[in-house]
Amino acid sequence: MWNEPTTINRLNRRSFLQNSALGMGGIALSQLMASTVSASTRGGVPDVGVPGMINPLHFPAKARRIIHLCMAGGPSQIESFDEKPVLTEQNGQPFPDSLTAGQQLAQLQNTRLVSLGSFAKFAKHGQSQQAISELFPYTARMADRICIVRSMQTEQINHDPAQAFMNSGSILKGRPSMGSWLTYGLGVETENLPGFIVLVSQSSGGGAQPISARQWSAGFLPGKYQGVQFQSRGDAVHYIGNPEGVCQSTQRLVVDEINRLNGMLAGQVHDPELTTRIAQYEMAFQMQSSIPELSDFANEDASTLDAYGIKEPGDGSFASNCLMARRLAERGVRFIQLYHRGWDHHGDIDKSMPITAKETDQACWALVEDLAQRGMLDDTLVIWGGEFGRTPMGQGSGRDHHIQAFSIWMTGGGIRPGITYGTTDEFSYRVAENPVTMHDLHATILRLCGIDHERFSARFQGLDAKLTGVEKANVVEAIIA
Amino acid sequence: MRFCIPWVILTLLPQTTVARQQPDSIVQFNRDVRPVLSDKCYFCHGPDPAQREAGLRLDIREVAVEQGAIDEDDWENSLLLERIQSDDPDFQMPPPDSNKSLSDLERDVLTRWIQQGALYQAHWSYAPLARPDIPDIGSAENRPANPIDAFVLKGISDSSQTPAPRADSKTLVRRLSMDLLGLPPKWDEVSEFVNDDNDASWLRKVDEYLAQPQYGERMASPWLDVVRYADTVGFHGDQNQNAWAYRDWAIRAFNENKRFDEFTIEQLAGDLLPSPTTDQLVATCFNRLNMMTREGGAQPGEYLAKYFADRVRTVSTAWLGSTMGCAECHDHKYDPFTSRDFYSMGAFFADVQQWGVYNDYAYTPNPDLRGFNNDYPFPPEIETESAFLIGRIDSLRQEQNELVGKYQVTSLDGFNDWAGKIREFLTQHPDGWEIATPWTAVDGQLEYSRQIDGSIVFSGDNATELELIQPGTIASVRIELLPSAEQGDSIRRDGKLDPFDLNPLIRIRRNGIEELETIPIHLADADRKTLDYANGFAMSGITSGWRTAAGGMPHTGVYVFRSPIRLNDGDRVHLDCRDNKQVSGIRVSFSPLVPNDTNDLHQMKSDALFAGAGGEHDGTSSNAQSDPVPGDTWQRMAYVRSSGSDIELLKQLQAIDQEIVNCRHGKTPVLTTKSIEPSETRILSRGNWQDTSGEIVAPAVPHFLPQPGNDDGRRLTRLDLARWLVADDNPLVARVVMNRLWQQFFGQGLSARSDDFGAQGASPTHPELLDWLASEFRESGWDVKHMVRLIVTSETYRRSTQSNSDLLTADADNQLLARQRPRRLSAEMVRDNGLAIAGLLQADSGGPPIKPYQPTGYYANLQFPDRRYEDSPVRDQFRRGIYMHWQRAFLHPMLANFDAPSREDCIAMRNEANNPQQALTLLNDPAFVEMSVAFAARVLKAKGEESVESQIQFAYQCALLREPNEMETGSLVYLLDELKAVYDADRDAAKALIDTGLSMSGNGLDPVLLAAWANVCRVILNLHETITRY
Repeated sequence: MWNEPTTINRLNRRSFLQNSALGMGGIALSQLMASTVSASTRGGVPDVGVPGMINPLHFPAKARRIIHLCMAGGPSQIESFDEKPVLTEQNGQPFPDSLTAGQQLAQLQNTRLVSLGSFAKFAKHGQSQQAISELFPYTARMADRICIVRSMQTEQINHDPAQAFMNSGSILKGRPSMGSWLTYGLGVETENLPGFIVLVSQSSGGGAQPISARQWSAGFLPGKYQGVQFQSRGDAVHYIGNPEGVCQSTQRLVVDEINRLNGMLAGQVHDPELTTRIAQYEMAFQMQSSIPELSDFANEDASTLDAYGIKEPGDGSFASNCLMARRLAERGVRFIQLYHRGWDHHGDIDKSMPITAKETDQACWALVEDLAQRGMLDDTLVIWGGEFGRTPMGQGSGRDHHIQAFSIWMTGGGIRPGITYGTTDEFSYRVAENPVTMHDLHATILRLCGIDHERFSARFQGLDAKLTGVEKANVVEAIIA
Repeated sequence: MRFCIPWVILTLLPQTTVARQQPDSIVQFNRDVRPVLSDKCYFCHGPDPAQREAGLRLDIREVAVEQGAIDEDDWENSLLLERIQSDDPDFQMPPPDSNKSLSDLERDVLTRWIQQGALYQAHWSYAPLARPDIPDIGSAENRPANPIDAFVLKGISDSSQTPAPRADSKTLVRRLSMDLLGLPPKWDEVSEFVNDDNDASWLRKVDEYLAQPQYGERMASPWLDVVRYADTVGFHGDQNQNAWAYRDWAIRAFNENKRFDEFTIEQLAGDLLPSPTTDQLVATCFNRLNMMTREGGAQPGEYLAKYFADRVRTVSTAWLGSTMGCAECHDHKYDPFTSRDFYSMGAFFADVQQWGVYNDYAYTPNPDLRGFNNDYPFPPEIETESAFLIGRIDSLRQEQNELVGKYQVTSLDGFNDWAGKIREFLTQHPDGWEIATPWTAVDGQLEYSRQIDGSIVFSGDNATELELIQPGTIASVRIELLPSAEQGDSIRRDGKLDPFDLNPLIRIRRNGIEELETIPIHLADADRKTLDYANGFAMSGITSGWRTAAGGMPHTGVYVFRSPIRLNDGDRVHLDCRDNKQVSGIRVSFSPLVPNDTNDLHQMKSDALFAGAGGEHDGTSSNAQSDPVPGDTWQRMAYVRSSGSDIELLKQLQAIDQEIVNCRHGKTPVLTTKSIEPSETRILSRGNWQDTSGEIVAPAVPHFLPQPGNDDGRRLTRLDLARWLVADDNPLVARVVMNRLWQQFFGQGLSARSDDFGAQGASPTHPELLDWLASEFRESGWDVKHMVRLIVTSETYRRSTQSNSDLLTADADNQLLARQRPRRLSAEMVRDNGLAIAGLLQADSGGPPIKPYQPTGYYANLQFPDRRYEDSPVRDQFRRGIYMHWQRAFLHPMLANFDAPSREDCIAMRNEANNPQQALTLLNDPAFVEMSVAFAARVLKAKGEESVESQIQFAYQCALLREPNEMETGSLVYLLDELKAVYDADRDAAKALIDTGLSMSGNGLDPVLLAAWANVCRVILNLHETITRY
């Protein structure tokens, strides 16, 4: 549809003679050429886009892209993937002091602690016989595809810093999020879309917490690695739509003229930013042209929409965002992060959590199956989980934040399917075996993408800052296929 | 750009490579050796004892010798050399598993350094600051007048390079205006200077700019980055904080050229000065600009630790140019800062009153903050006057007077009739209020007793509901709540002194009509009330609801009606207090007038307004001819407001009333520092806030720097810290501040890392120049304008950004400063420049944050409370970027796209990206589209009668401050023709485009021509040259 001629041709559309005769120098033209047709001759995987810093990769990559289904607010592991019969038996009994003495609590500070058993029942699913609660019937269907990690740990007990820690491995401001690290390390494979895209949806069942744009910040890395939030409704990207009264062909005229005049200047002055600027205007126009097509779900058939459970494509729901995630993955976006705000179940967890689970369960399954059917699951890493878990102690009818043990699942790109990794004590209070810290998770993600986390750093304030921080982080080899 | 690693690696080295490439040259420790040792060795052999291997540290010569790394008797056989040259993995240094390795050049530098005697130098930034001699360069006649040039020329001539020539005059004026004011100059100024281009007129130009109020706005912008000024708290709900009075203080400080030492002291410790002024307390808002939280379940201790670390990082970066934040968990790896230094520095702020979590949750009780919710402010605050608000109130009143001044009384009889009645009313009721008579009862249900003073006392379980008889016209009502002896001198029926809510509903019962008629209220206020807050801000006046103040004191509330109400015989006013049966004594009065001060409703008095309103106009006064309207402005104002003679005019006045009320009497709250008993500060092992086993530390400055005197061993205060920063023997502060100032005028500091003056930073390219500037700064009395003037009058500043290819090749990174550096405008300047070119820019200084158009739903992920973004009205829509509402969690996309920092943490260097989001913003953000339309209207209004070529010439003069060349003109003429054809065929599109925004600049112009021109102007506003300062 927007199969326009190349920049050079368009620049010359009116009169090549006019321009060149008046001094649009050969240097500028060749620079222009270079900036718009770059990367096509590069060896290695991507044949478009921008190469990453890690080139060649440290290891063969098992995952080329990542979809992070971020269950913001902190889903309860006790009602999802970590079955605890003892806790259920002790429902209503005082919670063992020996576990909690001297430990950090959130809203349960200064209160009497009581065990709260799971309100949801568990069953074993698939050949792998993984235990999954009844709140996630669709996830249960893909039990043999996913790897459940029940021994996640984090360091931050409040939403904002915990999300920062999950994303950047640090609570210091100005640190890049993992999506930025990955696009920085691996480069981008798409010319008309950002390499790191974020979508946010909100639960109708309460339990939503605010989320800051800092969570997808590039921090001290160059701004081009920043996550771009796509709006779940309306224009997908800020300022992506033409102004009122400016049609696409007029916009084209304007962009061409800007680049023509910038090109003239490039022939006269020394300013290396000029050629970059010209290339960025071209990319901006390409984004403008491609995003309407991206957001147009018309060519998705009804059965696909049904499978995801989408009522109205582009309605801002998690299900709709999942379908968008697949479309972005198809177009080469490196890191796609979907936040669903609605897991902060401090009260009435038995009423609210089923709502939030229902809003997400089917679409997660549909996304994974859809990727599998299209042959993309092999090199797409899908991660499901929150910034922390929830306490086995009740907070009235709900659960407080819990950082010492919680569950996530992963599938696709290089993950060993159908296994459960790590265990917790009989209360799901502490990790009993095989703890996985956030830094371990980051190290593992990087490994799956072909990067040795120890050798992946960027200079900041005199330090070689790493996603995995200063302390030793371990790749969880046992979950890698 | 500076974070692009491949370039960084290339650009960090040039200064050292010069030395390295010449094998016989003497290596210098600071310039050549320290960067290598620091980057490759200090991690294990540096200042941090926790990481130190084999007890060896290479940052202290004695230890390196003692441990055998350096052999003074046999240089060639120093162990250090052996190990860096070895290729045995078990022996070589750095070891392979460190992921660090030495290049051949680096190995060579270390080898020659040891061969030359392994001489150490004190780290350049910690060495005492001494004023270097100005290099003697050139002959006596052509010696540079400006010392800066002498230092720079010395380096250029040592490298046998030729500096770039002076930039052309037009470029220079634009550069100066952008750098000093953040705005483009006017074409007239430029052409004036071109015709009179000499050093004297340059200096005049500089001084002219230094005296303009926009100078302070420009200078404050980078300062607000380092102090992380923002309008919201950052964490979790990211609620509003009241800080803008501090922003205005900082702007004023630069404009008044406040000495930098005072500027420092007032921000850190203004509250500790003897009898601090309000301004000095406003300055201490600095100590409160750390991010804060109000999240339920947050741990106060944890967040206090975060606030603590944030303050240390900020003071460290802003004044010391140091990365002390690295010492939060361990001693610094590269610099001499210890963990103790970190906590001792933070201890200076242990007296700052604050709360870890700004709310009173059951699980984290804060009795001080009882009753707080997400709409409350973040105490402590003080009130301060705002020149902006005071000026705004005056201009709004002026506007009202002008509206009324133009008002034509249509009926002299009507006016005289009104005036007669008012006069009569005021004779009987000199205070302007008539106490209303209660009608007997509603359905006989009400029980109350009428008192001698006209009040009514309710008792028992009856609703506070009554009907009042008041014939004639009423324009406002006064409700007084009076204590009575029976209720223990309380205004509450139950005798308690606690506040209670009432929601008076005032309606009319028309004679014989069942349904009550509601009276719409224009404004209401009470003399006593419990403050109500909306998103951090105390609401002005009262809405329908009203929460009384505690203490049982009498209250007076006044409600002004949207329009006067005429009551006929048999009509009654029905008042339902909706107070949960709390009101005890109540007295209701009506007035046919409205209070003349919308800012002060409850102080309704029989003042000039009422006195004046009674004067009958006889039509014979001397101004009758020229001014057919009876009476003076006040009389007319009273007539319009209380007669209902012109409802349209009344509505206009009332809209302005609301704006006056929003100015809150010209006052604003602002975060401030209140000193209380200092809390205990412990060294937190590994930064763990729950570990209370660490040693208790007292406030102290970093141990290795000159210490402040403290003979009596008292606890040092923030005032001591501030004075130490600006003390004569502090080696860092003057250097750090001058380096950032240099960065502002050259795009990069003399030391490229203005946020890291430590071992991992960058040695200055011109250390003597930096030291000279720092000395001059201090000795001039910390005179910022003096230093700015020195810099911008130097030849070095005035050089062209263009240079010969020799220079480009030999000095690609401009280490010699032989040319200027083109720089993209900052985010705020991109906006301001566009507004100025468009002719839309509003010049007001200061005031509450403004809200330019923003994509809808951008704050959808913000909660506690939910946020709704309302664009500022046209009056404030086109103000400078520095005044934009700075939402930390969701910075305005335009600002974010052009690399403005979110200001969650101290930032001394901004990114300078070049990305498609910037293109999308300039192309499609409605603000920039509107600027294009306004710019087009400006062109057409100025040059509409002239040729297209001269229109384009005018546009270039406005935007780029130069003439277009033939090729540019030709291309744009062609484009304009194409666009005219496009819009001629689609006039609706033309109208849609030119209707963008609130300004409606194109009224009266041909839509097709305007729309076509608007696109030409879009092109011009999008040009790289437009957003670049050359």
